[in-house]
Amino acid sequence: MLVLFETPAGFALFKVLDEGKLSNVEDLGNLFSSAASARKMVKLQAFDKFDNTSEALEAVAKLLEGAPSKGLRKFLKANCEGEALAVADSKLGNIIKEKLKIDCVHNNAVMELLRGVRSQFTELISGLGDQDLAPMSLGLSHSLARYKLKFSSDKVDTMIIQAIGLLDDLDKELNTYAMRVREWYGWHFPELAKIIQDNILYAKSVKLMGNRINAAKLDFSEILADEVEGELKEAAVISMGTEVSDLDLMHIRELCDQVLSLAEYRAQLYDYLKSRMNTIAPNLTALVGELVGARLISHGGSLLNLAKQPGSTVQILGAEKALFRALKTKHATPKYGLIYHASVVGQAAPKHKGKISRSLAAKAALAIRCDALGDGQDNTMGVENRLKLEARLRNLEGKDLGRLSGSAKGKPKIEVYDKDKKKGSGGLITPAKTYNSAADSLLGQTPKADSAENGVKEKKDKKKKKKADAEEETITEEPSKKKSKKKKTEVEPETEEPAKKEKKKKRKHEEEETEMPAKKKEKKEKKEKKKKKTDV
Amino acid sequence: MRPPLRGGGGGGRGEGGAWRGRGSDRGRGPGGRRPGGRGPGGRGPGGRGPGGRDPRSKPGGRAKVGLNGGSKVIVEPHRHAGVFIVKGKEEALVTKNLVPGESVYNEKRISVENEDGTKVEYRVWNPFRSKLAAAIFGGIDNNWIKPGAKVLYLGAASGTSVSHVSDIVGPEGCVYAVEFSSRSGRDLVNMASKRTNVVPIIEDARHPSKYRMLVPMVDVIFSDVAQPDQARIMALNASFYLKTGGHFMISIKASCIDSTVAEEAVFANEVKKLQAEGFKPAEQLTLEPFERGHACVVGGYRMPKKQKAT
Repeated sequence: MLVLFETPAGFALFKVLDEGKLSNVEDLGNLFSSAASARKMVKLQAFDKFDNTSEALEAVAKLLEGAPSKGLRKFLKANCEGEALAVADSKLGNIIKEKLKIDCVHNNAVMELLRGVRSQFTELISGLGDQDLAPMSLGLSHSLARYKLKFSSDKVDTMIIQAIGLLDDLDKELNTYAMRVREWYGWHFPELAKIIQDNILYAKSVKLMGNRINAAKLDFSEILADEVEGELKEAAVISMGTEVSDLDLMHIRELCDQVLSLAEYRAQLYDYLKSRMNTIAPNLTALVGELVGARLISHGGSLLNLAKQPGSTVQILGAEKALFRALKTKHATPKYGLIYHASVVGQAAPKHKGKISRSLAAKAALAIRCDALGDGQDNTMGVENRLKLEARLRNLEGKDLGRLSGSAKGKPKIEVYDKDKKKGSGGLITPAKTYNSAADSLLGQTPKADSAENGVKEKKDKKKKKKADAEEETITEEPSKKKSKKKKTEVEPETEEPAKKEKKKKRKHEEEETEMPAKKKEKKEKKEKKKKKTDV
Repeated sequence: MRPPLRGGGGGGRGEGGAWRGRGSDRGRGPGGRRPGGRGPGGRGPGGRGPGGRDPRSKPGGRAKVGLNGGSKVIVEPHRHAGVFIVKGKEEALVTKNLVPGESVYNEKRISVENEDGTKVEYRVWNPFRSKLAAAIFGGIDNNWIKPGAKVLYLGAASGTSVSHVSDIVGPEGCVYAVEFSSRSGRDLVNMASKRTNVVPIIEDARHPSKYRMLVPMVDVIFSDVAQPDQARIMALNASFYLKTGGHFMISIKASCIDSTVAEEAVFANEVKKLQAEGFKPAEQLTLEPFERGHACVVGGYRMPKKQKAT
């Protein structure tokens, strides 16, 4: 019988000289206690050396998958005629049996034999000392480890997590620097801060003009709108700020440069994130969008981790504080977490946000699993599901309209009694009327800079941000104290994760802002549709 | 010996956990409440700091009382070979740095001048972070990890304890570090690239046949895998790689094996399991006050009996 023994230097085949002893498994160990007795047991028949580390790596990698490499196959074919082969891995043995028609043995006796050979093999293989073997083993292990690690990091979702973390950091830094520019330059020209709301435009203007005296001569048409430019020039003349020296202005200008370059880099990073998301998780991106998808992955730790979570978890990822609080105090749990910021949920009427968020979370969980564990690299599944979700949304709203326009069986729905569930006024059909600041007149703000300005205003003012939420959705879920606690928990998750993740706050707003004009249009359309339907 | 470095240890442990599992920790929030069932062969959730710890805080912000730069310290060898004690205002366990000038995990290094003027560098070994250090502090009788030994280290994680073992065994010995998790494995490989007596193996310790071409027979197996079937894992590895008459050290976490039963019962059970596999446990000590619910069992494998051979 032959024994196959793998070493970092190559493959060794030993011939068992005394097969009778194999039956006594326990004593086998003793037979290898000294080199002399070991030599009586087995003899080196053949040795196939690896030429270099890469060959060794290949051979070993294949071995780990359970398949013999070409070199091994040749070696075995050449030397194993008519003998049984003892191997350490039964899977390998099976494959060798299939492919090379060599009988393979794997049992306790074989394991003991291998143990013995291993303890004495420096003696049994002449020319292979301990010193030679150690660096070979080291080299092989390093290459193997690197091969394994690289292999697993093929679809690096680490890039996504780092990119989104950096995006949030950048936003914070950008905001800090922009505020600093305003404050610093405000010494010299305070009125400018109120005239130009957007940070980037502010920095550009400051960079262009430097000292406010130059404002009259310069042309700001690339940066600012005409009215704003006019205001700027007026204000520059009658400004009450102090004079600053050129050296100071130089530094302020450098800070503006920093702000502008950071803003540019942020835009690049966002593009990079989008492209990465489309490569790594195309289905998820198709369903919820790049940003929400990236946040979900980052929250879950990795795409694979996220794939293990059920849909209900995906639904409330990001609202853990509210969730556990609600569970402990037996209140209603939050209906959405990070997924709230997906565009499908944003499009829904406030009443249906919960339902849509649940459906979206379910489909999103499927999409994540497709991306993490599937083979295909396309986003067909994501796109299909998105269409389904939008159809469901239309369905929901259709039912709602039907109910609004009145039906014959207008009986109120009876709810299941749960003594533990804290109730308030339950689900109101229409939210109670509170002050709708969307109806405010926005005098003194030009229509072009409107959406950008609105975004910036909210960046500065935290309280106004809450209202902005309300504006978008046209529910003011501002917690009025008389309202039910259930409503509070609904609001909590929205304001929770904005409050909780301060870094993400501003990003969320920019995203909402870009969706806001679109949403406002949609809302208008919906209102018109409703009007039409009720008319008919 | 009163245990030094308490504040440093606690902070170090929290930072170690946070640093290692920064992303994956948060994912455990709503869904993953499984107790201790982490990646096979990888380090158990011992290092997970409490939620309040900010993972973005810079590592290494520890206040070490007494071992500040410039203070006079004496280094004397410990009873066990390869380990030293540094005495100053506070005492600490140290090992001689195999790679002078470098810290593996931002631990403190102490440079001492010899009589003939050469400088020797030692690295502080934190018993709150390393089970082996906790065992040595606790006072095990025999430490089989000595200079020149070949050690198979199961559950190497990022290589912080492995680096100390590598210091102890020195350039003649060798440490075969097995770790299954890729993230920790990456750090392990980085550490191993600086220390030539560490062989990193990124494989599941449950399948020792997968690294049979890398590991020869070893003298000692150290196991810190924190898995419910760790006795079986160790037995399997020993049957492959532990020489006859070799020794083992295993760190048992009671809550990982069975969280409902009393600790002593768990340890007794594990010892029984080990005995059934041919191990001869010689001593068992608890790792209090460094780790709660942990015990370290040391013993021999296939020890030759006086009368007849096993």
